[in-house]
Amino acid sequence: MSTTTASKPRGIKLPRAVGKVPLSRIIAVVAVTIAILLPLFYDSGSAFIEDSTTALIYVVMALGLNIVVGFAGLLDLGYVAFFAIGAYTMGWFGSSFFTSQDIHIGVAEFLQAQPGIHLNWLLILPIAAIFTAFAGAVLGFPTLRLRGDYIAIVTLAFGEIIGRIAINSDEGVFGIGDFNLTNGRSGINPVDKIDLPFVERFTSLNFRPWYWTALGLALVVVFVNFRLRDSRIGRAWIAIREDEVAAVSMGIPTVRVKLLAYAMGAAFGGMAGTFLGSWFGTVNADQFEFSFSIFVLAMIILGGLGSIWGVVVGALALSFINTRLIPDVLNTVPSKIGLDFDLTELGFGIFGFLLVIMMVLRPQGLIPEKRHQAEFADVLEDGGEHETIVETRV
Amino acid sequence: MESASIPVRPTRSRGEVVREYISRFGLIALLLILPVLYGIQDLQDDGDLSRLATNMKDGLSNGAIWALIAVGYTLVYGIIELINFAHGDLFMIGSFVAYSLMGTVGLTVATGSLGLVFGLLLILLISMVACGSLNVMIEKVGYRPLRNAPKLAPLITAVGFSFILQNVGLLWLGGSHRGVPDLIESQTRYTTILGVPVTHGDILALVVTVPLFFFLVNFIARSRIGRAMRATAQDPQAARLMGINVDTTISFTFLLGGLMAGAAGLIYALYQTDVWFFAGFTAGLIAFTAAVMGGIGNIKGAILGGLIIGCVQQISDNRIGTEWTPAIVFGYLVLILVFRPQGLLGEQTREAG
Amino acid sequence: MSTPEAQAEQDRLNSGPAILETQYLTKIFGGLTAVDGVSFRVPARSIVSIIGPNGAGKTTFFNMLTGLYRPSLGSVIFDGKNVTTRRPDQITALGVARTFQNIRLFGTMSAVENVLVGQHARLKATVFGSIFRTPRVRHEERDGEKKSRELLSYVGVNARRHDDAASFLSYGDQRRVEIARALASDPKLLLLDEPTAGMNPQESEQLTQFMRKLRDELNLSILLIEHDMKVVMGVSEQVTVLDHGEKIAEGEPQAVRHDPRVVEAYLGKQG
Repeated sequence: MSTTTASKPRGIKLPRAVGKVPLSRIIAVVAVTIAILLPLFYDSGSAFIEDSTTALIYVVMALGLNIVVGFAGLLDLGYVAFFAIGAYTMGWFGSSFFTSQDIHIGVAEFLQAQPGIHLNWLLILPIAAIFTAFAGAVLGFPTLRLRGDYIAIVTLAFGEIIGRIAINSDEGVFGIGDFNLTNGRSGINPVDKIDLPFVERFTSLNFRPWYWTALGLALVVVFVNFRLRDSRIGRAWIAIREDEVAAVSMGIPTVRVKLLAYAMGAAFGGMAGTFLGSWFGTVNADQFEFSFSIFVLAMIILGGLGSIWGVVVGALALSFINTRLIPDVLNTVPSKIGLDFDLTELGFGIFGFLLVIMMVLRPQGLIPEKRHQAEFADVLEDGGEHETIVETRV
Repeated sequence: MESASIPVRPTRSRGEVVREYISRFGLIALLLILPVLYGIQDLQDDGDLSRLATNMKDGLSNGAIWALIAVGYTLVYGIIELINFAHGDLFMIGSFVAYSLMGTVGLTVATGSLGLVFGLLLILLISMVACGSLNVMIEKVGYRPLRNAPKLAPLITAVGFSFILQNVGLLWLGGSHRGVPDLIESQTRYTTILGVPVTHGDILALVVTVPLFFFLVNFIARSRIGRAMRATAQDPQAARLMGINVDTTISFTFLLGGLMAGAAGLIYALYQTDVWFFAGFTAGLIAFTAAVMGGIGNIKGAILGGLIIGCVQQISDNRIGTEWTPAIVFGYLVLILVFRPQGLLGEQTREAG
Repeated sequence: MSTPEAQAEQDRLNSGPAILETQYLTKIFGGLTAVDGVSFRVPARSIVSIIGPNGAGKTTFFNMLTGLYRPSLGSVIFDGKNVTTRRPDQITALGVARTFQNIRLFGTMSAVENVLVGQHARLKATVFGSIFRTPRVRHEERDGEKKSRELLSYVGVNARRHDDAASFLSYGDQRRVEIARALASDPKLLLLDEPTAGMNPQESEQLTQFMRKLRDELNLSILLIEHDMKVVMGVSEQVTVLDHGEKIAEGEPQAVRHDPRVVEAYLGKQG
């Protein structure tokens, strides 16, 4: 097993293992078990389960971006593009949008009569994955010759371009033809709900099947990430991230490997996008803004760039802060301390403040990649006062 | 085995030859295609190039504002390799400061020219200093502690500050656009050059930005601190060993960037007669794009990038449609980087060895 | 002044097959000609040194051999194949491996992982196989790790250090790991860029013996850039001298050492 552990563990006093099982694995198993059982302790329509479902899909998104930014070191600021493509794929193949078509595969009876293309979500998933993987490779291709931060702006640009296409493509694309691709700002709605075989119908009232589906998707993606990280391709990604010249000199075909990172990361984003398209019930251009890309990026940096569990925790944390902590605080705190003004206008300012605090206090992230603990050893030892000999390259 | 005595050029495939030609001429073609296309259309429709010239003139005026902001991005990136996402919002704060001061200083459309000039000069200075100091403070609080952190960490801090500044703007002047008194009658024509109307707004943009650019370029090239900045940008460790106080130099760089952003804020407020809390986000994006287009870290490049984007925007808004303008601007960026990965004036780094 | 034995050795080298050959290899950067028309060959199963004053173009030359730089003129022929325009990873896959002047290990990876990366071109695991950990991939990973540890021990890295993060290893160990990583791709030609930099005389002697071991046991050809004359004289069968990008001398060590042009290049004109 090619996991690495620096020979100098940092000062946590917990036991490394219980018997022969490493502590981290125990924690993971317990956490997953709790996650599976969670909805049973809440009402089927509970807002908490609703927010948790959203959080789990963000976990999938973040893990996808982690492959590009965390493993391969390619600063991608346009991840929203893949969310968009995935969501629109759901919209095209899972709604009555294309009213002139009449294709139904694997959908419930009540949908058979509706016009449009209606495929089962399980079919749309791979289609979206293929679309977005392709898009990822195409969008990543121009960045291959660019230095690190130029990749950032080009990917950002692509994200914006895709967003623009989404807004403007209700009458032809780039002014060509008059085909309605995205229905612009009005978007596509309603979008079919997910429909799994052997499971009760998904509705907008019962969040439990949604939650478990999202959880299943998230667990699969976590699993795939671990497998990839500890494999030949994972090592190639990290080698490129550390030192591209050395990597290519060791026989790693950097073009192919980078494109693969883009494609895989995009595919996960696209799959998550299909879920969200169905979950929100609508797909419209206003959902796809640059702030989404930054939001997901913040999750992985906050969680610990490159660290799989770190990214999971970071995604859950930021998602919950966004959907629960800030609205709750804003609504209740003022009256509790006797003030009478409306804090809801401070929503994103507080969010920004939290970002700043979290980064200044723990720049390496909540659960740093084990490798980075090695890097930070030097920094922490002398309080960051001296230059480190070890280059902290992300 | 005998070695050949005739020098042998490594064989190049046809694809490579084609690519080299495209590379060399593609960039020029790219930059010229819009003006040439619409120039020809104008000659056919109107018989002269005045519409295109007006587009370009407007583009340069707008572009000068973007260039001022872009310079701030490029300075900071050059010295600590950070994309300061909060910079655009700093500009927005600058515009808010300028707007508020207009009321405080008592400038109205009725103010006489002398009072106007002095008043605006005062506001310009205060806006610049305010933004400069704010930038220095942000660096000290948010970026300096992360000097040794992974490179992406300060990026998130910058995003955080961006949100904070936007929220400040929201609370300060509300969520809607605010009209700025048209103190300089920015749309009034001052003169006409070659059939192109030059307005007060254009003059303002010219009069403020050109001296600032000159000052900046010369300052960095000639002054001691400028030298320190360049040295730190190239090699912070070596600079430190040479006795340069790297921390102070970095703070000063942020100060300079902030000053420029503050100036841009005032010009924008007067030129557009409008301020809005979300304008910084858009402006920041454009300015960052301009800095990259010109070769990030290169000041002249940032200026060039800003001007080019200004012109592309104007032509696009006027001829193609405002809804496509962002996509076209970004398309330009991508294509320029394809032809010249280091940016227009950037330096190619040689990696190996 | 060469002995008959040395002359015979030279004849053997010159007439045998060459693992590497360059023809008029040239690199021009803008106005600067870093390497100027160097024609050169490395006989198979030999140890060849390239020496020359600083700035002579040695590392640039290396970089052209490995594909990192595109030659402006001339060609590189490895094992009979023209590799002049090939990418670095392709050249590595063909059997060329290298170390760097400034150690370029993947600092946050362990020594074992570094050497595993070196095997990238020889491993065959695909994304699909990696996700599902098919038996073939499992065996490949296991064998790969085993081979990595064996290589690390072969170069002299203590087993206790195998799982340490590379940036925590001692300087000497880091140099050894770099060599192990280079060996991991089963190369036919090994390029070492100043391998004894920073080493004391004993370590240099150890490395010299080690290089002979590599040539004899693994059938390797070795090309090194070196400044330590003792190492150069001691281990090389052929020495090539570069100065200002040009080849100014070539031959067996003793002859080159006394070549007046070489002396002048290093010490400046006499008198």
